[in-house]
Amino acid sequence: MKMNNLYQEKHQLWLHIAFSSFAVADEAIKSKLYDFSLLAFRHMKWIGSDTLLNAQEYNYDREMQLCKANTLFEHLQNLKNIVEEIQKKYPNNSLGDRLKNDDAYLLEYINSLLKDEKNNHAISAFNKACIYEDKDLSKEQIDALTLFLFEESYKEYELILVYAYMQARTDDVLQYNVFNDLVDESHFHLKSFGNMMAKLGILSLPRELHEMTYLITDLEKFVRDGIAEEEAAKEMCKELSAKITDPELSKFFDFINNQESYHIELMKKLLGLDLNNEAAMTNLDFDEFWNGVDI
Amino acid sequence: MLENIELPEGMNPEVLEHLMDPQNYGKLENPSGVGVALDEKSGEYVIFYIQTAGSTIDDLRFATNGCQDTVVVGSMFTQMIKNQSFEYAQESIQKLNEKLSGASPQQQVCADMVLTSFIAALKNYENIQNGKTEELHVLKMKESCENE
Repeated sequence: MKMNNLYQEKHQLWLHIAFSSFAVADEAIKSKLYDFSLLAFRHMKWIGSDTLLNAQEYNYDREMQLCKANTLFEHLQNLKNIVEEIQKKYPNNSLGDRLKNDDAYLLEYINSLLKDEKNNHAISAFNKACIYEDKDLSKEQIDALTLFLFEESYKEYELILVYAYMQARTDDVLQYNVFNDLVDESHFHLKSFGNMMAKLGILSLPRELHEMTYLITDLEKFVRDGIAEEEAAKEMCKELSAKITDPELSKFFDFINNQESYHIELMKKLLGLDLNNEAAMTNLDFDEFWNGVDI
Repeated sequence: MLENIELPEGMNPEVLEHLMDPQNYGKLENPSGVGVALDEKSGEYVIFYIQTAGSTIDDLRFATNGCQDTVVVGSMFTQMIKNQSFEYAQESIQKLNEKLSGASPQQQVCADMVLTSFIAALKNYENIQNGKTEELHVLKMKESCENE
C-alpha cells in the first residue's frame, strides 16, 4: 500500500475515533476513546515521517463519512470495522508492529464494551436539536454559539494539520517546539468545541483542507495572517462570552480567549525567528512544496 | 427556480444543513476549468472547479479556507447551478447579487468571493478553449473580509 494512502486512512481513523469520543455522552468511554484518538494522531505523524524519509509526499485528502448512528453500539461496531480493515494495511516493520499493537488494544476495549448491553445508550450528538443540555439559553444565544462552534472547530482542525505539516518539515528546534505547542493547544480546543457541538446535536466533521491551505509559500505572511485570525478568534470569544449569560459557559469562553493570547505570543516567536535569524529559515524552503501540487 | 433564491439569514434548518454537510465541497478530477478568488489581505481564498458537457455545467466543486458564510453560500450556489446551462448560471449570479444588497457587508464579501471564483473558473475554461495554457485563473478581491 502506498504510504500516502495509509496516511490518508490513518488521518480518517484519527477523526473517526476523535469524533466518536465527542459523540459519546458517557464520560469514562469518552475519555478513553479520546486517548485512543491522540494515539491515532501520533500514528499519523509517524507514518508521515516515514513517508518523507522515503522521499515521498503525503496530503490531507479524505474520503470519509462520519458515522451518525443513533446508539453507542452501532457507533462502536462501525469503528471496530474501520480499525479491523486498516490493520491489514500496516507495513511489516517496527512501525507497523506498533500500530497493530495499539489498534489491537483499542479493539479489545471496543469488544469489552460491546459485550455488556448496559454500556449501550442513545447518541444525541447528531439530532440537530440545538438545545444545550442543562443550560437555559435563548435562541439568539444558541445561534451565536452554533456559528462560533462551526467556525472555530474548522479553524482548530485546520491549525492542527497546517502546523503538523510544517513541524514535519523543519529541522529548527524552536520552530519544531512552537509548532508542537500550537498543535497540542488546538487539539484541546477541537476537543472542547467538538464536545459542545455534540451537546447541541450538531456534531459534524470539519471540512476537508485544500492544498492551498497547507502548502505555505511565505511563512512570515502565514504567521501574520495567523495572528490576525487569533485576534479575530479572541474577539469572537469575547463577544460570545458577553452574549451568553450562563456563568459557566461565559467563563469557559473567557478562558479560551486568554489561551488565544498566548498562541499569539508563540506565533510571534516564529516571526522573531524569521525576522532576526534568516539562516533558520533556510530549513523551511516552502517554495518547493508547490512542486507537483495537484490542484 | 431563480425566484426562490434565498440567502442564509440567521440560523435556520436549511443553513444548519449546509453547515453540517456542505454540498459540492472538495476537488474535482480533470476539471474543464479552475478558478480562484483570492483576498490578498486576509489570505482567504475560494477555489472553484467546473466540469462542462457542451453548454451545461455537468459537475462542480468548491473549497475555501474562509468563514462559514462563504461555505454556506458556496454550498447553496453550487447546488443551484449544478446540471444547469452557463446562461442559467450567469443569471443566478445576477439574481444573487440583487439579493445580496440586503445582506450584511461581511456576507456580501463572502458571497462575492464565491461568485468571483466561479467567474474565474469560467474564464479559465474559456482561455483553455482558446488554446491558452493556464492551470487555473486567479481573480483578486477588491474588498476584504478583514475590513469588518
